[in-house]
Amino acid sequence: MIDRLLPIVASRWTRLVLVGLVVLGLQTTLFTDVRPFGVVAQLMLLLAVAAGVTYGFEVGAIAGLTLGFMYDCVLNTPLGLCSLVFGGAAAAAGALQFFIREPSWWLKIAAIVGTTFVAELVFPFALTMVGIGGWVRPRMIFVALGVTTINAIASPLALIVSRWTLKVSLGN
Amino acid sequence: MSAQRRRAIALLALTSIILVTLDLQQSGSTSLVRSIFSTVFRPVEGVARIVTRPVGNVWNGITNYNEVVDENDLLREKIAQQEGAAVAAAASVRLAQELLALNGLPTLAGINSVSAQVIGDAPSNYSQTVEINQGSESGIKVGMPVLNAAGLVGKVTKVFANRAVVMLVTDPEYALSVKVVNTPEALGPTAVNDPDAASVSSSSTTTTTTTTIAPSANIPGFTPGSNVTPSSSPGVSVSISVPSLTIPASSALGVRETGILEGRGPSRVPIVRFIDPEQRFGTVLAGTPIVTAGGSLSLAPPDIVVGKVSRVISRLGTAGPVLEIELVADLSNLSFVRILLYQPITESTTP
Repeated sequence: MIDRLLPIVASRWTRLVLVGLVVLGLQTTLFTDVRPFGVVAQLMLLLAVAAGVTYGFEVGAIAGLTLGFMYDCVLNTPLGLCSLVFGGAAAAAGALQFFIREPSWWLKIAAIVGTTFVAELVFPFALTMVGIGGWVRPRMIFVALGVTTINAIASPLALIVSRWTLKVSLGN
Repeated sequence: MSAQRRRAIALLALTSIILVTLDLQQSGSTSLVRSIFSTVFRPVEGVARIVTRPVGNVWNGITNYNEVVDENDLLREKIAQQEGAAVAAAASVRLAQELLALNGLPTLAGINSVSAQVIGDAPSNYSQTVEINQGSESGIKVGMPVLNAAGLVGKVTKVFANRAVVMLVTDPEYALSVKVVNTPEALGPTAVNDPDAASVSSSSTTTTTTTTIAPSANIPGFTPGSNVTPSSSPGVSVSISVPSLTIPASSALGVRETGILEGRGPSRVPIVRFIDPEQRFGTVLAGTPIVTAGGSLSLAPPDIVVGKVSRVISRLGTAGPVLEIELVADLSNLSFVRILLYQPITESTTP
């Protein structure tokens, strides 16, 4: 029984959920008070996109869907909406590896910046699509720029965290 | 391995779509999922809050120091101004509540409430909510109105055992029936406190005595009236100098009209729509007070102060004007709130 449980507990996905909980804790406490440029930093989105950039399309999509679902659970918006947006963003970021086999660090950061910006713009449209209107306004461009700037600054750390979190085996 | 991952992606994406659909249908299963996650996440959040509080305080100290000092000075001045007025206002409120209670009308004083501390803001750029540290264990239910010392703040949208999420009035999803208490433009010439009117006039030709009393102060909307009382002995003139009640002229009373208050997101003031443009209501001016309308279906009891009209946007035809509202509650700086344990009659009678 323990032999079966151990691989699950030690798996990268369990680690992702645990790290996700810690990051979500920071998101709902520190980053609701600390609002650089007047916007809320999107750490869960950053972690998801960083996972995509580091490990590719498939791992990124699963990480994005998982982290997005966790974020959905603390938000007032429909459950599953962030999951879809984050999953899509992380998968898009992971598509970088289709074009460049071993992207340099600045290309990874550029991919994070680009996908973050698009995801932040897509989210209000997704809200409108499910009937929650009122968010598609010029302000969303300012929000997207703010979040993108924060994510660009924090992306080197996010890449390190995502690399460690989703490593196949911690011993490697 | 790749096929397995693709199946996982498809499964997760499909689950997300199903969850979105279920949540939009307000299914109980999504509430259960949130509740379970909240139970798991709460200890992590608690630790994160304790650990990160000093960092947050340092950030606020650096970025908001000058604003806090200026605000402090301004607040000291305001407190000095309002201390005197508050005593008189409290007496008036008490009197009004007693009068309402005497007449069997509902008052806010008769509704139990729970005080709560605001423990967190919305962790997203696309929702206007705050989290409070009281929940279902204190009797809080979804939909209950939330106020602070100034006025209406929002309504409870999610309840957990010992915390709840409050949707602010500025959220685009927020809507509430409100009353616009308009004062007629023309009050009539008798509204002026004329010293001559203070004199007592009597007539002795009829079987009744008429006494005219002047008001002690100018009260907009209230005019000196006449009390006609039957005389005890016919033909005898009686002069009364004791002030008595005056009856306001009906045309001079504040006219109330209902509309729907709607939030419009951060940095945009809420609006009131669906105001009847009929002539009787008159022209709405900036500064007109807005209070909750109440009613058997409304989630809030009547007469909670919401704000005042800051701008009137006129529209052609029968659409009626749109009113921009300046809220009395400062939603950017909430510390403590009061949740009224109020349920509309239609819900409280349901078993």
